[in-house]
Amino acid sequence: MNNRREFLSRAGALTAGGLAARLAPISLLGLGATANAQAAPDYKALVCVFLYGGVDGNNLVVPIDAATYAQYAAVRTVASGVNLTQAELLPIQPQASGPYGLHPQLSEIHPLFAAGKLAILANVGPLNEPTTKANYFAKRPDNLFSHSDQQNQWQSAVSSGASASGWGGRIADAMAAQNTNFPVITSIAGSALFTAGGSTTALALPAAGGLALQGFNGGAAANARLAAMQSILAADRDNAYVDAAAGITTQALALSSVVNPILSATNSSVQALFAGQTSSIAQQLLQVAKLIEARAQTGARRQVFFVSLGGFDTHSNELTTLTNLLGQLSPALRSFYDATVQLGVAGSVTTFTLSDFGRTFQPASGAGTDHAWGNHHFILGGAVQGGRMYGSYPTLARAGPDDADTSGRWIPTMAVDQYGATLARWFGVSEPALATIFPNLSRYSISNIGFLA
Amino acid sequence: MPPRSAPAPGSTSSSGLPRASIPRTHADTCVDDRTLPVRPDSFCARDNYTLFQLQLQFFRNALAQPDQLRQRVAFALSQIMVTSGVDNARNYAMRDYQQIFLDRAFGNFHDVLAAVTLSPVMGDYLDMVNNNKTNATAGTDPNENYAREILQLFSVGTYLLNADGTRQLDASGKALATYQLAEIKGFSRVFTGWTYPTVVGVNARNNNPRNYLGPMLAVDANHEFGTKVLMNGVVAPANMTMAQDLAFAHQNIFNHANVGPFIGKQLIQKLVTSDPTPAYVARVTAVFDNNGAGQRGDLRAVVRAILLDPEARGARKIDPAYGKLVEPALYMTSIARATNAATDGVFFRGSSNSLGQFVFYAPSVFNYYPFDYVVPGTQFLGPEFGIQTSTTAINRANVANSLLFSNAIAPDATVFGASGTQLNLAAYQAVALDAAALADRLSANLLGGRMSPAMKGAIVTAVNAASATDGLARARAGLWLVMTSPQYQVQR
Repeated sequence: MNNRREFLSRAGALTAGGLAARLAPISLLGLGATANAQAAPDYKALVCVFLYGGVDGNNLVVPIDAATYAQYAAVRTVASGVNLTQAELLPIQPQASGPYGLHPQLSEIHPLFAAGKLAILANVGPLNEPTTKANYFAKRPDNLFSHSDQQNQWQSAVSSGASASGWGGRIADAMAAQNTNFPVITSIAGSALFTAGGSTTALALPAAGGLALQGFNGGAAANARLAAMQSILAADRDNAYVDAAAGITTQALALSSVVNPILSATNSSVQALFAGQTSSIAQQLLQVAKLIEARAQTGARRQVFFVSLGGFDTHSNELTTLTNLLGQLSPALRSFYDATVQLGVAGSVTTFTLSDFGRTFQPASGAGTDHAWGNHHFILGGAVQGGRMYGSYPTLARAGPDDADTSGRWIPTMAVDQYGATLARWFGVSEPALATIFPNLSRYSISNIGFLA
Repeated sequence: MPPRSAPAPGSTSSSGLPRASIPRTHADTCVDDRTLPVRPDSFCARDNYTLFQLQLQFFRNALAQPDQLRQRVAFALSQIMVTSGVDNARNYAMRDYQQIFLDRAFGNFHDVLAAVTLSPVMGDYLDMVNNNKTNATAGTDPNENYAREILQLFSVGTYLLNADGTRQLDASGKALATYQLAEIKGFSRVFTGWTYPTVVGVNARNNNPRNYLGPMLAVDANHEFGTKVLMNGVVAPANMTMAQDLAFAHQNIFNHANVGPFIGKQLIQKLVTSDPTPAYVARVTAVFDNNGAGQRGDLRAVVRAILLDPEARGARKIDPAYGKLVEPALYMTSIARATNAATDGVFFRGSSNSLGQFVFYAPSVFNYYPFDYVVPGTQFLGPEFGIQTSTTAINRANVANSLLFSNAIAPDATVFGASGTQLNLAAYQAVALDAAALADRLSANLLGGRMSPAMKGAIVTAVNAASATDGLARARAGLWLVMTSPQYQVQR
C-alpha cells in the first residue's frame, strides 16, 4: 500500500493539504509543471518485449553450416512439420562463430545484425545458480516447464519461491529519483510481474488511443463531481482491496492529463514509420515511441517499457503460427528501431525480448513442440554491440550434453539474472543496487555479458 | 457447327457470357450483405462464425434468466477450464462448450472434468485432438499440452496442498511439487488417439478434420497402449481400452487430495472473497471430499458450503483483507441490475473488451487473470487485480458514464433486432432533490448500507452542485459517484 502513497505524495494529490487540493482539477495536481521542461539530454529507455507462450528459439536461430544443420534436421524432420529448410533461413555470420540463419519472417530486423545493432543471447533462462546436467534436477527452478511459473521467473529473476516484484519494477525503484514525477515504468500490455516494483507502481496505458476520463465539460456541477470522486477515492482505505483499487484509479487520473495528449496526438513524427501495421505489437511499440518522443512533456529521464505479443505456445501448427506472429514482430521491431533513429535516441534505447521458456527440440504430435527451458533472445538498439552471438548455443542432440531430458530441453548456460544485470548496468543502475535487483547475481562469475557498450 | 443463335434478351450478353444483371443464387441465405437496414442474415459471418451472438446472449441471460446461481457457477468453472474465442471463434462450438458448465454447475466435478476432456473444443484448444502416439518415422512424440494443463489448471495445481489450501513443505521448508515431467509424459500418452467426431456423410479417418459437434472419438491406431506413470505413484496398466485408460486417468486426478482445496478455493475466490482463510478453504474441502452422503466432488454441496459459510455470511466483513474486486462482466451486470436495465447485450459485450474481460475470449488458458495474483503492495490474493490497470480503471468510470449520462444506449444498426440498453433511474430520481436522501438510498441499494460519512459528505456536496430542480441530473451524479467508487467495485 505504501507504493501508491509514495506516488501520490510525489504527485501532490494528498499532501498539498486539505480540501482545496482535492478540489483542484486533475491538471493542477502537480504534473503539469513538467510540461514545458526541456528534453533532458541524459535519457535512456529499456523496452521489454515479452513473447507470451514460450517462443521456439530453436526455430528463431538455426545453425546453417552443413554438419550442424544436419543435426537440426535429423530431429526436426520435414515429416514432423516443424522443420525450417536451410535455404529459407536468413543467413547471419556472428563474429567468431559458425554461420546461423534467422527465421525467414525476421527479414526486417535481419539486416540490423550485420549492421551491428542486433545481438543474440543464446540459451538463457531462469536458474537458481550455475547449473549442469549433473546437478540440474536438484538445482532446477520451481515448477520447471510451467507457463505461469517460468513467466514469473523470467520477469522476477527469482526462480525459487514467490517474488512480489519484477526486475523491471525494481530497476524502476532504483532509478525513481531520475524522474520528476512521471513513473519510470510504463506497461502498454497490462499488468505484469516484470513491472511491479517494491516502492513504485507501473503506469499501464492502452495499446492504442488515449486515456481520459469522459463526461467532464468543465462546468461547475461536473467539477464538483470530479472533486467528489477524488474525495471518495481518498476515503475508506481501511480495506486492502478498496485501497488498492483506489490507488490505481487515483494514479490513472493524475497521469491521464499528461499522457492523454501525447497518446491521442495524431501528428507524431514517428507515426508514419508504422504505417500499414495493424498488429497489436506494432501499436504498442508506436505508443512507446510516442512517449519517448514526448519525453520533454513527461519529464522522464529513465523509462522502462513493457510490451507483449502472445500466442507463441506452439504445441501444434508451429510453422504457421510462427510465420504469422514473427511476421508481426519483425516489422514492428524494425519500425520502432527506425523511430529511435529518427528521434535521435537510437543509442539511448535498448529493446530486448523475454519469453516463458524455449521449446523442446523434439517435435510433438500435431506439428508442434512442448514446453522446455533455455531459449535464445534478441537485443536491439544503437548501443548494442551487435553482429554477435553471446552465450553458448546448445548442442542439438536429444539426451545430449545440454538436454535436461530426452526431448531437447536445454539447460540454460546463462541466467536471466546475468541478462537483466547487463541491461540494468547500461541503464545506469549502481553496482549496489544491482545486487538488490538481482539478489542471486553474485552466484555467477559474469555479471556483464557485454552486449551493451 | 451451326452459328449460335442470338441470345434471348436478359439471359446472356453479346459475348455469350451470362449477364451480370440476373440476381445470383446463393448457396444459402448467409449472404453477409451489409446494406442497411439489416436483415437477420446481414452479418451472417459475424453472427454465426464469431462468438458475437453468444456474447450478447451471455449478458441477456445474466440479467434476465432466473437461474442466477447456476450461471455464476458456470461462468466461474469456465474461467477455470478455459477455452477461448481467440483460437476458436465458431459460435456453435463455444456454445456447446459453455453448456458443459451450465449443465453440470450443480453436478459432480468428475463429470465436468470428463466432459471437458472429451470436448473437441478443448481438444483443439490444448492439442489433445489428433494427438497421436509416438511416430518413429516422423520423429514425433505425444503432445504434452493437455496433460500439463489438466493437472496444473483444471484439477490439482503444481504444489501439493493441505486440505486448507496451504502448501505442503519438505523438511527444509520448500514447497513440494504435485508432479514431475514423468507424470506429464504419462498423461500425455493417456491423451493419445482421440479425434474429432466424424462429419456426417464423410468417411471416418484416424485423424478426422475439424468438427465440434459431439465428443471426440477414440481411434485405437493412434493410442499408446503401454503403461503410463500417473500421480501418487500409480502406474496405469497396459492394454486397457481407450475408454478405460481415460477413465483410469480421470479417477487418478479426481481422487487426488489436491482437488478439493485447489478447486474449492478458486470457487470461493470467484463467488465470495479473494483471499479466504485456510479454515474456510478447509471447510469447503471437507464438503468436496464428502458431501455428507459419501459422495466426492458434489458441486451442489460445495457451492452451498461456500455460500453458507460463516465467512461468507459476515464473520469477516470488516477484515481489511476481506472482499473481492468485482470482475468486469459482473461489474456491468451489477450496474444494470441496480438500475433495472433493459438490454440487448450489445453495449456490455463491447465494454467487456475495454475492461479487460472480453467474454469467452480469454487471452490464454490462464484466463483473464491468474487465480494466485497478489495485489501489488500487499500480501493478499486478488485475482481480478490482474486486469485492473490505469487503463481499465478509467474505462470502468467511462462505462458508468456512458450508461448513466446518456438517455439510452441506442440500438446498434448492424445488429438485427437490436434494442439498445435503457436504464431506469426512477427509484433514485424520486428522492434526488434531497441529496442526503439520495445518498441514503444509494447506500442501501448499492453498498449494503455501508456508505461512510466521508463518502456521503462528498456525494451530498456534488449532488447539490447540480441543478436543485433537475432530479435526473442529481440522480446521475450520485449513481456515477457510487458506481465509480472502489467502495462499490469491491464486493464485501
